Amino acid sequence: MTWVALFFLGLGAVFSLMGNIGVLVFPDIYTRLQASSTCSTTSIFSVFVACMILSGFTPITGKILVITLFFFITNPISAHIIARYAWQSEIVPWRRTYEQRRMLGAETDD
Amino acid sequence: MGIESHDLLLYAIYFFLGTSVLGVIRVLIGPTTADRMNGLNLVGAQILALLVLVAVREGRSNYLDVALVYDIFGFIGILAMARYFTAKVHQ
Amino acid sequence: MTERTRWNIARVLLTTTYLLGGWLLFTWSFEPGSVLLGLVHAIAIALLTYPIFIEEYEAARRSHLPRVELLGIYLLVLVFNMYVASFRVLWQILRGRINPGVTHFRTRLRTDIARVVLTSSITLTPGTITLQLDDDHLIVHWLDARTRHSKYASKLIAGPYERLLRRIWA
Repeated sequence: MTWVALFFLGLGAVFSLMGNIGVLVFPDIYTRLQASSTCSTTSIFSVFVACMILSGFTPITGKILVITLFFFITNPISAHIIARYAWQSEIVPWRRTYEQRRMLGAETDD
Repeated sequence: MGIESHDLLLYAIYFFLGTSVLGVIRVLIGPTTADRMNGLNLVGAQILALLVLVAVREGRSNYLDVALVYDIFGFIGILAMARYFTAKVHQ
Repeated sequence: MTERTRWNIARVLLTTTYLLGGWLLFTWSFEPGSVLLGLVHAIAIALLTYPIFIEEYEAARRSHLPRVELLGIYLLVLVFNMYVASFRVLWQILRGRINPGVTHFRTRLRTDIARVVLTSSITLTPGTITLQLDDDHLIVHWLDARTRHSKYASKLIAGPYERLLRRIWA
């Protein structure tokens, strides 16, 4: 059982570290929000799962389950609220130039 | 079993303390208000994880009440900040 | 008693039920004093705020009674997709070859709650965040924009969720 918890804690650690690095290195607010909303939510979720496994069948597990559900509702909504605020205050999303997109082999239809 | 869950949780707590510092850097240097709000949201989520880890390590459930209320207030704080700054932009 | 009055009473009762459920979930105790305190406050808050909680046009029965078994399947699918999307974003952070873009599309979901759940799922999963939700019109930011065609983008981003959500709520 401890090994499963260790696996989930490791996942949480990796996602947390990479999410924070992504928030530091990405070029604009929308891409930083991507890193924070996806990676960070997954890392915290993994940590909660590990905590539930470690504490077994106690009242603590029920409370962590409630916190997990609530976190699952609130975190994407607050990421969306921040994104909407950035969009409404007319921050222009960062884009690659046409040549860079050609070099990446990405779709170039404009 | 080579690992004790007690030590495991302690290492996890130190690790999350270390990573939340990276989020604080983003809060300090963020060029726009939305960046700072994003960093705040990130740090808040990691503090939540820290509270839950401490609660499981000590085996006490009153940290979990604190964690729940912390989550709710962080969410309401983000909502209030977004609303306040949106009103300011549109003036 | 007109149709409108009955709907208003139902709205107050529904809001009270939601608030009391939240109270019981958070306090996790079933002592009579605690439950009574929660009930009194739930009724008071419901009487004050029911027009905000439940809009007047949300009168369809399906929008308040989701199909719970499909909701469980939806949560499992969401968690699985969340891990997949996180590994993808992690890989993009490591490689640094991102190609962000913005697309617009429309959703076919009818109820407000289903649209909000779709927005949250899009924000959580495949390297996308919703920038704006305007009735049925979504503006989505993509970390790895593969297409700019609106219909194809909606198929790629929201396709699997829309099919399940339409059966849960609509």
